[in-house]
Amino acid sequence: MTAPSESASAATPAVRCRSLGVSFGAVQALRDVSLDLSPGRIHALVGQNGAGKTTLAKVLGGLQAPQTGEVRIAGRKIPLGDVRAAQTAGLAMVHQHFSLPPSFTVAEALELTAARKGGRSLYRRSELHQRWQDDVAEMGGPTVLATRIRDLPVETRQSLEIVRALAGDARILLLDEPTALLTPAAIDQLFERLMSLRDDGVTILIVLHKLREVAAVAESVSVLRDGELVLGPSEMSEVSEAQLSDAIVGPASSADRAIGKGPSAEAAQDTLLELVGVSCRESAFELGLNEINLRVESREIVGIAGVEGNGQRSLVSAIAGLAPIADGSMRLGGVDATRAGPARRRLRGLRLVPFDRNSEGISRSAPLWLNQSALRLIGRHRRRFPLISLRQYKRQAAEAMDLWRVRYDAVGQPAESLSGGNVQRLILSRELAPGLEVLVAAQPTRGLDFSATNFVRRSLRELRDGGAGVLLVSSDLDELFELSDRLLVMYGGRIVARFQAPYDRQAVGDAMTGALR
Amino acid sequence: MTGGLQRVASTAVLVVFSLLLTVLILWVSGYRVGDVFSGIIQGAVTATGASTSTIRWAIPLLLIGLGVVIGFRAGFFNIGGQGQFYMGACCALAVSLGWREGPAPLVILCGTLAAIGAGTAWSLLPGYLRVRFGTDEVLTTLMMSFIGALVLQYLTAGPMRNPSGTGQTAASERIPDSFRITDGSGVSTTVLLLVGGVAVLVWLLLERTRFGLAMTLVGRNPTMARWQGINAGRVGLATFALSGALAGLAGAVELYGPGARLVTGFSPEVGFTAVVVALVGLLTVGGTVVAAVLFGGLQSAILFLPIVTDLPPPALVLLHGMVAFLVTIKFQAVWRRTGPGAKAMAS
Amino acid sequence: MEQILATTLRSAAPLVLVATAGVFAFRAGIFHLGLEGLMIAGAFTTVAVGDATGSVELGILAAVGVCMILSALYWWVIGPLGANVIIAGLGLTSIGLGGTAFALGAIFDKRGSIFTDVVLPRPVRGITSGPGVIISELSILVWITPLIVLAAWFALRRSRFGLRLAAVGEYPFSARSVGVNPSIVRLQALLIAGALCALGGAELSVGALRNFTENMTNGRGFIAFVAVIFGAWHPIGAAFAGLFFGFADAIGIQSQINITERVPREFVLMIPFVITIFAVWLGGLWRRRSLEAEAGYAELREPDY
Repeated sequence: MTAPSESASAATPAVRCRSLGVSFGAVQALRDVSLDLSPGRIHALVGQNGAGKTTLAKVLGGLQAPQTGEVRIAGRKIPLGDVRAAQTAGLAMVHQHFSLPPSFTVAEALELTAARKGGRSLYRRSELHQRWQDDVAEMGGPTVLATRIRDLPVETRQSLEIVRALAGDARILLLDEPTALLTPAAIDQLFERLMSLRDDGVTILIVLHKLREVAAVAESVSVLRDGELVLGPSEMSEVSEAQLSDAIVGPASSADRAIGKGPSAEAAQDTLLELVGVSCRESAFELGLNEINLRVESREIVGIAGVEGNGQRSLVSAIAGLAPIADGSMRLGGVDATRAGPARRRLRGLRLVPFDRNSEGISRSAPLWLNQSALRLIGRHRRRFPLISLRQYKRQAAEAMDLWRVRYDAVGQPAESLSGGNVQRLILSRELAPGLEVLVAAQPTRGLDFSATNFVRRSLRELRDGGAGVLLVSSDLDELFELSDRLLVMYGGRIVARFQAPYDRQAVGDAMTGALR
Repeated sequence: MTGGLQRVASTAVLVVFSLLLTVLILWVSGYRVGDVFSGIIQGAVTATGASTSTIRWAIPLLLIGLGVVIGFRAGFFNIGGQGQFYMGACCALAVSLGWREGPAPLVILCGTLAAIGAGTAWSLLPGYLRVRFGTDEVLTTLMMSFIGALVLQYLTAGPMRNPSGTGQTAASERIPDSFRITDGSGVSTTVLLLVGGVAVLVWLLLERTRFGLAMTLVGRNPTMARWQGINAGRVGLATFALSGALAGLAGAVELYGPGARLVTGFSPEVGFTAVVVALVGLLTVGGTVVAAVLFGGLQSAILFLPIVTDLPPPALVLLHGMVAFLVTIKFQAVWRRTGPGAKAMAS
Repeated sequence: MEQILATTLRSAAPLVLVATAGVFAFRAGIFHLGLEGLMIAGAFTTVAVGDATGSVELGILAAVGVCMILSALYWWVIGPLGANVIIAGLGLTSIGLGGTAFALGAIFDKRGSIFTDVVLPRPVRGITSGPGVIISELSILVWITPLIVLAAWFALRRSRFGLRLAAVGEYPFSARSVGVNPSIVRLQALLIAGALCALGGAELSVGALRNFTENMTNGRGFIAFVAVIFGAWHPIGAAFAGLFFGFADAIGIQSQINITERVPREFVLMIPFVITIFAVWLGGLWRRRSLEAEAGYAELREPDY
């Protein structure tokens, strides 16, 4: 984009932070981050999940008080952990998760957030609508101010978040992963909007995790890794894509990427999991499924690629038996399981690594051993005698966890005391125990550090080589390319494309964004 | 383990604090603190028949309290023990009065089973609504409780009223003496064995069966339990049924034991006190036994106290309220607020 | 007919006031089971202070003060100290019921009930005969209640305070993200609720009657709570639900006089509780729960018990 002018870099930075440090218990989310953002430009902040991007954004926006460091906005130091102070200083934030109450109407939601002058404490509906008419019109589209937030399409909610953020005459706009839930067309629109805001002199910091998007919108880029600022802010023109991706994943990882092996040589035999024409209804927050056909055989990893929110969650829920299959049939190990409950499917050898490991994979407050032995609680009891030996349960849980190198102090400690990588190891130690026929792994490496990621990937590969079938759902293309023997792409609740290795990144990417239909 | 000790300690501190607060109120109201304390000791332990009376009051608290423990273990607030208790007693009474000539052991058995069935039914309705429709169980169990109290009132004032009864409070006819399993004191070997056996069974169920572990997982995180193939709905229903059954059993024990007849609105606080007992017992079986004896002692003492001082019974309701008000305070929450991330936790 | 109308208004007024209190708490996301306790505390304080000073106004003022203090304590326990909302609320109810009964003995040296000379003013006068006489027995609080409901409607549906309150109750993150402290908003809601409960209690003891009786609220706090759910957390809806329960009560009282022979009194008294179960079932706490579970709005929640 525009070349940096001398005057711009010499001016007072719009945002300047110095040696910010945030830790949650043992986890250091940010360490010693110092960053200057020059005014009137679009800055991107990138990094892997768990690198500290959201934490940094929250600190700047005043939602999170750091333990160390300071933040200056336009040269003035602001009190930390104070949303109001950040707002008065002209900084507004658009959150990763939507922040508008779903039952509010558009006008009410905007009024809630308004720090705007001239508002009395009581209002009339009509007055409210008048006040916000212009702002809403600006974002384009015929949004009715009396519509409830929950009835709005995702893109409109997103633009409303921006309208809301700018309502207080903000000069600095912080966007935390705004593209995660948007369609490609909506992303383009969003970027145009941001550029026109930039032209009006607004400084923008946008958190992204796709390099393509960074290249499309940003003028300067900074990279966070493991809570540290490892690159930038640098001009986009001065860094290559390779430099960026190295900075994001760390030096060792690029070497590892070469390790990825091709499809396993042996021919697949048994069909372990088969979905024929499976459809299921959409839930409150996820697309339904439309005529899904897929097959997982032994000795293969089948990858499911797709932008998040295109039905992957419904797919995994349907396979798990938690979302009813409205149409079509499903077979597990050759036996019909369309109407089987979750327990029956589990007993037939279905194992699951769910999307959200902290709420679906473990019970945070329950002790480790209970989390580990959860699968022993279903099905018929092996012995007549109904009582169990806790000591045996605990010992076997400890053995399994040791085998998977879960780091813990006592089997009785609550699962929430484990780090993310160890939680995933705990889940694997439970799900990958003998009895497994087919594994459905949803985002198994999300948010994990480098060594844990490698560990999980190696485990999946060993599992495949041992004869099991794996359905790997991921939004990380590199992971899918590295592990999958076949690759399916989901878009809009259906499977739109099937690929065989070697994969064509361009073609897969097109299919994911719906360009290929 | 240290976490467990911490919880025991903090609960003990909170209970003692509530007691002191109540005593402070008594002191301000002009009661002599020394008299009150010595009255409590006498009424609960040392006076003639006091310890028996303590056990007598501890029994319903323990049975209903164990039901509350089971409910909480699976994450449900079944606070309708009062109604389930009443319905149990009413059904046992109906069986016993309707089959006066029957052989005593058989009548008692049938009556007890009827009581268990009635308590279960009274608890299963809210349970079903909760599991099937997500209807909040706090209000529905409470409402079922009010309805149960009215059913009791109707029965004792109407169909089962003792025609020769005098006085203002309606009461039923007495059951034949041969049907009773204790004397007037409400304590006998049979009852102690029964209640002790139930406590052991509940402990085994919760701590030593796969069902108990499944209940714990459902209570801690139903989503995770479902992902693990556990039928959270079925576990929930069983939980409601069990806790209602225990309250119904308590009703039968009350009738065949110390009661022998039912009086409108008898033991009006027992349902709520049992919730307090379960909480003070840290939702464990052993703790609930201890807490039941403690609160049984207070109940016994409050009935004795008027002899020493003129302390009115509502003081006990006040104390129960204090304990409930404070007992769930989390000391960790207090500490956490001063530590890192305090702002984020505050809401 | 007039009889029933007047009895309905009289039975409904305390319910409506306490239901309005419940709406404030519920909108702030607090499942407030202490309403009953606050209500009886209000009833007692009005009588006690009113009797001592001979002024009903001072009595009501004191009742409002006491209930607000209790509410603040409740907030402190469930907010900063992290106690369980439901258990602490039930505890508050027991403190109210037990505390007032105890105080009755300690202060007045009586058990059961006391009579008082203070009474709320009755604005309609001069009707001494005919069916209208019953109207003249309605206290000023009954006449003011609609205004209070209207004010609550303005506060909740047409003010920025109401927006903040709803945001805190529905989705605390939305409030925090604009710099509103949810904890403070909850305190404000609880204080308002406390004051309204005090008025409801006062109407019960010195409006309709001239006495205070142990346990005189008799579950009205809970019924009011149900009216909140029945009325979909809307102040007007809750008021009408309260009116309906008042009507059911009035029918009950009437039928006690007229048809006791055919329908036992207890079954009439059961009606509100049965309706309540239906209301809770239909009315949709369920709706609220599923809303919370919506994507992006879900917050990790695991109970400690």
